[in-house]
Parts: sequence; C-alpha cells; structure tokens
Amino acid sequence: MDEIIKQSAMIENDHVKKWKRDGGRVVGYICLATPTEIMDAAGLLPFRVRALGNSQTEMADARLSRFNCSFCRSCLQLGLDGTYDFLDGIIETNGCDHLRGMIENWDYAKPFDFLHYLKVPHLADPSSLKYYEEDLRLYKQAIENHFEVTITEAELWNQIQREDRVREKLKTIYEMRERAEPAFTGAEVLSLFLMATAVPAAVREKLLDQAIAERKDYKIRGYKARLLLGGSATDEKDFIQGIESMGGLVVADTLCYGSRAFWPRLNQAKAGDPLQVLAKTYLEELLCPRMFQDFPRRRDFVLAAVERAKVDGVILVHNKFCDVHGVDNVAFRLALEKKGIPVLQLEKEYGASADIGRMKTRVQAFLERIGGPQ
Amino acid sequence: MLFAGIDIGSLTAEAVVLSDGKILGSEIMSVLPHPLDSAQEVLGRLCSKQGIQWRDIQYTVSTGYGREKLQAEGLAQENISEISCHGLGAWTLCPQVRTVIDIGGQDAKVIKIGAAGELENFVMNDKCAAGTGHFLEVMSRTLGVSLEELGPLSLGSRKPVEMSNRCTIYVETEVIHFLQRGVSKKDVAAGINRAMAERVLALARRVNPEREVMLTGGVAKNVAVKNELERMLNVKVVHAPIDPQVIGAFGAALFARRKAGAG
Amino acid sequence: MKLSVPVGLFNRLSLQLALLNRLPAPVLDKAGALLLAISPILPAEMASALGTFLAPHARPASLAFIKMTAKWATDARNASRNGQKVFLVPFNFPCELIHAFDSATPLTSEVLSTLAAAVGQGEQYWDMAMGLGLPDHLCSANTIELGSMLGSEDFKPQAIISAAPGGCDVNSKIHEFVAHHLGIPQFFLPKPPDDSGRGRKQYALYLRALIAQLEKFLGEELTEDKLRRVLTKANRCTELYYEIWDLHKAVPCPVPNIFSLLLYGTRFTMWGTDEAIKTLETMVKVCKERLARKAYPAEKEVARCLWAYTSYYFDFMGFFNWMEERGYTHLGDGLDLCFPNMVDTSSRESMIEGIAESAWNMPMTRQVGGESMSRSWTEDVIYAAKELKADCVIYCGHHSCKQTWSVVSILRSELTKRTGLPFLILQGDSWMKRMTPMSVIQQEIDEFVRNVVAKKSLKPRKLKDRRKGQDRRKGQPASEDHPPAAGSSG
Repeated sequence: MDEIIKQSAMIENDHVKKWKRDGGRVVGYICLATPTEIMDAAGLLPFRVRALGNSQTEMADARLSRFNCSFCRSCLQLGLDGTYDFLDGIIETNGCDHLRGMIENWDYAKPFDFLHYLKVPHLADPSSLKYYEEDLRLYKQAIENHFEVTITEAELWNQIQREDRVREKLKTIYEMRERAEPAFTGAEVLSLFLMATAVPAAVREKLLDQAIAERKDYKIRGYKARLLLGGSATDEKDFIQGIESMGGLVVADTLCYGSRAFWPRLNQAKAGDPLQVLAKTYLEELLCPRMFQDFPRRRDFVLAAVERAKVDGVILVHNKFCDVHGVDNVAFRLALEKKGIPVLQLEKEYGASADIGRMKTRVQAFLERIGGPQ
Repeated sequence: MLFAGIDIGSLTAEAVVLSDGKILGSEIMSVLPHPLDSAQEVLGRLCSKQGIQWRDIQYTVSTGYGREKLQAEGLAQENISEISCHGLGAWTLCPQVRTVIDIGGQDAKVIKIGAAGELENFVMNDKCAAGTGHFLEVMSRTLGVSLEELGPLSLGSRKPVEMSNRCTIYVETEVIHFLQRGVSKKDVAAGINRAMAERVLALARRVNPEREVMLTGGVAKNVAVKNELERMLNVKVVHAPIDPQVIGAFGAALFARRKAGAG
Repeated sequence: MKLSVPVGLFNRLSLQLALLNRLPAPVLDKAGALLLAISPILPAEMASALGTFLAPHARPASLAFIKMTAKWATDARNASRNGQKVFLVPFNFPCELIHAFDSATPLTSEVLSTLAAAVGQGEQYWDMAMGLGLPDHLCSANTIELGSMLGSEDFKPQAIISAAPGGCDVNSKIHEFVAHHLGIPQFFLPKPPDDSGRGRKQYALYLRALIAQLEKFLGEELTEDKLRRVLTKANRCTELYYEIWDLHKAVPCPVPNIFSLLLYGTRFTMWGTDEAIKTLETMVKVCKERLARKAYPAEKEVARCLWAYTSYYFDFMGFFNWMEERGYTHLGDGLDLCFPNMVDTSSRESMIEGIAESAWNMPMTRQVGGESMSRSWTEDVIYAAKELKADCVIYCGHHSCKQTWSVVSILRSELTKRTGLPFLILQGDSWMKRMTPMSVIQQEIDEFVRNVVAKKSLKPRKLKDRRKGQDRRKGQPASEDHPPAAGSSG
C-alpha cells in the first residue's frame, strides 16, 4: 500500500514512465462515459486525467475563466505547463460545460496529436443508446486510424473481461472498507482508485490483488463516525485526509473517482456485440448528474450505499461553479434528510489550501453533531 | 471545581471560567498575533481578576479559529467547534432557544439546536464580508460614526435607504453617494442595518429558523440590526443574559465541565 | 414563526399584465404617457423599465409588445379554464410547437425572470431558491422564476420542457430540480454536440419523440392543419425578423436599442401568433420611418456595439436608453442570433423538419450547443459583426454562463485576429443588480468606447480575412458623420 500511495501522488507515475520508455503510448480521458477497454484493446494505456489538488492555475485562468470549475482549471494548467506532455492523445467527452471548455482551450493553446470527441447523450433511451453505440464505433475507428492498430473483437472481449475482473476487485476493496472495522481509509481507497486508472492493463489487477491481500485482516478502529462522501470530481487525497484526521472515517463514497466508476457496471453482459455491450454499460449505467430522466436511480444509489455501509452521516461536496453536482447535492440532501440521515453540504474550492481551514471547521461541527462531543 | 473555555477568534479572544457550574468571570480582549499568546493573555487576565491560578482549572476546552493550536500546545485538553459551543452556550442560558444567530467580526453562522441543546444543523458564511461585523465596521467608518453609534443612530429613521448591492465595496460607494445627495445619516444608517439583516436572513433561511431565536456575537449589540431581524423573522429575539460576545467561550467551558464528568 | 414570503412572481406579473391587456391600444398609449409622467414616484426600477419601454421613439412597438406579453401571461393564467395545460419552456425552445396544440400554452421561464428583474423584483425570488441551499453560482435567468415556484404559493405549470441539455448544464439542472421537487413531469429536447448529419438526425429523432410524448400527455394529435396554422404565421415572423436584421445595417442605426430585447422577447414567447406578427410589424414600421428621417436618439452615432451574449436586464433605462443617449447603438446580442428559417409547410413531415431546424438554431443551442462551442460562437459573432457593421463587440460576462465564460478567451483571440474589432469583457449578473451596479457597467462601457473604439475609428480599418489570407477593404472613408463601417466587407 505504501508504494501505491507514493505512486498515486504523482501525475506521471513510474509505471507510466516505464511504459513510455518501452515505446508504449498513453491516451488521456476525463470522464466516466469513456470506455477504456477500446484503448486497452488497442494496446494503449488509458490514463484518467487528474490534478491531484494542484492549486496553481495562472496560465489556465487566462484561458478558462475564474467562473469555471477549479478542477478543470487545475487540469488545464498541468496541460499547459507540460506536465501532461506524456499524453499521446486525449478522448474528449461532453461531460459538462467546464470540461468542454477545458479541452477546447487546451487544444487551442497546445493542439493534441490526437483528439477524439466522444459524444455522450444526456439521455439513455433507445435512440440515444443507438447513437452512442455508433459513436463508439467512430471512436474505435479513430483510434485504429491514428495509432495504426487493428482492434479485433476477440481482443476487445479480452479487455471487457479484464475490466470486469478489475471491477470485481474494486468491489471487494469497497466491501473491505465498508465493514464494521474497515480495512482501508477513504484516502487509501482514493489512492488505489487513482492508481487503477493510471497503469497498464496488465498491472491493474495485480495492484488491486496486492492491496486486497495486504489488508485482508487489517482493522481500523477508534474513529468517531462513519461517513459517506459524495459529489463533484475530486481526486484530492488531502481533502479526504483532512476529514479523516478529525475522526470521521470515509467508509463509502459515490464519487466519480470512486464507486460510480464501477459499481453500477458490475453486471455487464458476457456475450454479444462488444460495442453494443459497452454502449449499454457506459451509457445506461452512467451514474452522473449530467444524465437526465435518471435522478431517482442516482438517489437510490446514494441511499443504498448509506444503508450498506451503515454510515452515520453523509458529506456532499461540490467544487465551486459545479452546477451539475451543486444542484444534485441539494436534491440528495433533501432525500437523505427525509430518511433521517444527517447531511453536510459543502461548497469548496478545488485544491486551495486556504480552504482547508473552512472545510475542517464545518466537518468538525458535523462530526460533533452526529457523533456528539458528549 | 473550575472549568474554562477559551474562544480565539480572528479579531477578539474571550475566556470564561465556571465555578460549580456558574460563571465565575469572563474576559474579552483584542487578539494578539499568535493564538497561544492571546489564550495566555485572556485567561491570565481573567484568573488574575478572579484571584485564581491557571493550574486550579480542572479542564479547559478551546474553540474558535485558534482552537487546534491551543490543544496541540497543551493549553486546552480538547478543542470543539465554535458552532457546537455557541449552540450549547445559548441553550444553557435559555433552553427554549432553537436558533442561534452568531454574527462575528469576520463571519456569521446560524445554528439550529434541539431540545437538549444538541447541534441539529448549521450554516456559515466565512468567505464574504457582507453580513458580518466587518461590513458594519466599514460602513460606520464611511458614515463617520463609531460602530457603537450605528444602531441607535438609525432608530429614528422612517425611510431607510435601499442598498442595491450586496458587495461591501459597492455598498460603501452607495453610502457615499447617498450622503452626497443629502440623505440624512439616520436614513443611511438604517439602510445599512437593514442590508446587514437581509444578508443574515438569507443565511438563516437555509436552516429553517425556528423560535426561540438568540443573537450572539458582537453584532448582537447593534439594536437596529436586532430590530430588523425581528421584523423579518416575525419573532422577538431572546436576550442573552450575559455579554453575547462571550457565549462561545461559555459554551466551551460548559463542554469542559461535561468532559470532565462533572455535568 | 413564519418567514414572510413574497407574492409569487407569475401571480403578480400576470395580474398586472392582465389589466394592461384589457385596455385598447389608444387608451394604453395615453396610459403609457400617463405612466411615464408619474414615473418619478414609482419605485426606481419600475420607473426605469417603463421609461425605456414608453420612450416616444420606441413606444408604438413597446405597446404592441406589452399587449402581446399580456396575452401570453393571461393565456397561461386562464389555461385550465380554457381546457389547456401550461408548459414551462426555456427560452431556447421553439414555442410555436406548443402554440400549435389547442390544449397547451407555453410560459418561458427566462422571460418571466427578465420581467421581474426589470422592475427590481428578481432578488427576493432568488433568495428563496438560496434558502433551499442551492448554490449561488446558478443562473438568475431561470432561478428567479424557479425560485418563485419553489418558495411561494405561485402558479405551477403542468409540465416542464427542457431544451438546455447539451447547451447549458446550469439551465438543465435547475429545471430538473424544480420538476422533481414539485412532482411535475419533464420532457426533453437534448442537443447532441455533433454538427454532422448524424447529429442532426439524432436531434430530429429527439424532436419527434418529444412531439409524441406531448401528444400523449395532452391527449391531442398534432395535426398537419394545426402545424400549418402556426407555422405560416411563424414564417411571417421570420420575414419580419430579417427585415429588422437588414434595417440594423443602416448607418446611423434606425432601430431603437430596446428592440433587440423586444425581438427575442417575441421569439421566446409568442412566435407564430398574430400578436407576434403585430409586434414585429410595428417594429419594422417604426424603424422604416426612422430610417427615412435618419433619426437617431443622440447627436451622433459614436459606436455600433454588438453584444456577444446576453445584455443587462435589471435596469433597462440605465442600459438600453443610456447607451442610446450617448450614441452607442445596441445592434443586438447573442439572443438575437436565432436565425429563424422559413418552414416548408407543404406536409406534416416537412413542417416537423422545419421545427427541428428552428430549434437547432435557437440561441445558445446554436452557439454553445455546437460541436465546438468556441467555433460556433465565434462564427456567429463575426458574421453578425460584419453584417451589422459593428465597431466593437461586448461580452456581458454574466457570471453564471459557464460555457461562454469557458471559451470567451478564444472568441477574443479569433475576433482580434480575424476582424481587429475591439472586444470588451464585463463581469456581472445580467438579471440582478447585486453583483455589479449599473453605474460601474456604464463606466466601463464609456471608457471602452472613448478610449478604444472611438480612437480606432479615426483611421480606416483594414479587415483581414484569415481564410483568404488577403486584406479586403471596402466601405466608406472615415469622416465625422460616417464612422467607417466595421465589417463593411459584408
């Protein structure tokens, strides 16, 4: 775990460096709606773009504005300052307005060698599903054309099955963290997730197996309250550590750098046209506030996680200017409060150390409320 | 047995000592640059006035911005958020209170408490000067009156001016324009206090305020803001029988007593 | 302990408009003059809005607009009595589709918010939305009206239509929240970010699905005749739109500034109705008459300003009229860039395709619902700037507009490279005065025009066409009376 934590704190970890040295190519993606299996099947390393709490955004602020989400500005900054020069391309999605703006600015300032726009519908009805499936074909073709590879159906199924196994392992890790005496802290689980989305396919399963084996009998005790953390894209370990340092253990999450990335996708079909299967998995099972006609399912996902992990309270976070989560969180809060589950709704700046003090005051008060300072 | 609560804020520091569950004494002062110095000074003054020694205090709880440092350095056995402390302090003084509105120098909070003084919900503004004591400080300076005069000055007004903006900087400009146009100071002061109350109300709405309501913090001493809030909330606020500025430290001292097992 | 709750926005507005609707036009005109006379004793914002609307040079069209808006609101108010359901629609939805149904009538959330903002009443409804814990980076354009629906005993529509997914997250989410919170059904017309044939095909599928859903919800078939009735009138509206577009090109501009708002106010509410035709015809008549007289509200047209996205709506006088008095023409803003199409009314099929085309071109959808937000928006702004002979472009900087804010830096670069037009970026809240006061906005516009635009206009401008890679220069030489027309290559 120590090695995983160390590696996950780097943008370009040692696995990626080695991959590049060995002639491998890395393609970035930002959003959960991107089937990484297609990149894996093409022999590429799919890399989930992250900013790890980077707070320097001067170059990005000149392009994206200060009215845009600071997570996107942080990622853009890392793109502009060369940190992401190891990427050989990027898959854009219309995840949210901020993301779209981020990619447009990134490409305008530093054109990508390869940029493919995967257009994800906002609905998951049959016509949208068909459209998305066609889009996956275009995405596959674009990869094949640019990287001069052929993605066979067999290899695609191979990767689909591998990703299924990865999801099962992540589920096991989540079961271990959700137990009465959790085996992982919330910060550790985030580290694991970040690693699993930044290493070659062959390494992914091994890493997770190592973590599962190492922590099989590990027990965390002495925490004040069990928490579920939900909301905006956050890959900030410091933020979760800040919460946990006050005694609130994050035993569950509904983050997109977290359970939303795999939990709804556990029952994927095992046969059929692989692109059709992927379309169903990545669109129909996409749990994200950008999807419409789907709020009840998102709400039920949070409620189910709360019940399963037996949490004492829920912290719902959104990065300032994130409208999709900012609004959904209010609806979640109302639903949770109706069931008598205490909720702390937080709006925060991404990556700003100045904000930590404000966040800690609120989290402390919340923990006192649900745990009681006695 | 003696118990102490120390509240280190961004502008002022307060200390309260309890003896047999009752307030022995309290102290308020402006903060020194370092929270540890502030804590030692404020509690030191209080002990000296009451003829007690620091070492006689059985348990101390710290709260406010500097709370963690105090505990880390051993000046307090524990630190508890100012939110919980204000809640318990207000409830102990008046068990019917369910909503505490605390408006400090640089932040504002609205706290909902339950029938047993337990924290139920809260909301804070610690980012924007509007709706905090700082807003009133800036405006009173612009008006050319002291902060203490701002409330009483506006009481005679029948036509409070309406401020268009929320931002302190723009309101300051508006105040200057009103004065230049010959609007009376009392009407401008009334408009300032009303704008302040509106901002606080906007915060309070988010936790569904219920009666009884107590105002704490320095701004509670501004009678006009209090009146405006009463009008907007449709309720008479409960008066704190002690200086509203020390309620946070009082609550901390109460927690100290509880933690030590004495109450 | 009950917190005071203001009267609902729609309830109040519709009552006032219903009263106005009863008055015949000549009486309204006289009443208008009377209202103008007593405006000093009205609340400041109300006086400002009235003053702008009833300014003599705009009054005939404004009165027609007021009558039209009154009917729009009254129809919604009386809907259930008339056996109709009310759909809350966003501004970027072709309302003529709803007008085509006998058993439905549309209400546009952003127009309601604008009417409230115009009389200084928006903030209280915003506060109600904030009271629920909704974030303050939401858009006041919809949150004002929706705050009223959430927080007060206000009129509630029977359903909500959302055309914002794909064009605007914040608009989409707040409507979804309200529909869910109030238990009202919601229908969607999402925009794929796909300019290709595939994208258009998918969009058409979405529209057909929406029509089928509406038919089922209303229990009414949308027949060819009903469509034709409304779309024939919509086509007439389209003709008038382009007449007004062309009238803008004259120097000095004969189109009163407030007409920019009246134009899209009409598009978003009553397109395809007799009242809309009357309003637009009156606007054209006023403009033609002014063109003949070379009438202009100031001594000289100092700057022809194209607004890249929205304008400011919390102080009409301080914005539209103040600009005119200084000789700053408001050529239109992003919401005017809806480029309506003539619909082929020969069959149901062709008419539905026509509506799909109209919907695709609605403002916001067309620009920032495009595959590349920056490209679509830039092309439209440059086209409009050239066609309408703009001297400068101004971005209002509405704080909640995440998509335009995210690519305004690209627009600025491209505008500079391709046209050399000066570009001003403001910051504020278009619908609420709390963020940036009008005096500050005016100051920034003044400084920009005096120090940048006016100075540039002293020498003839070379317009570069980046695509052709040559200098193209057409148009009049600079002189005192005729500033060189921007974009005169148009």
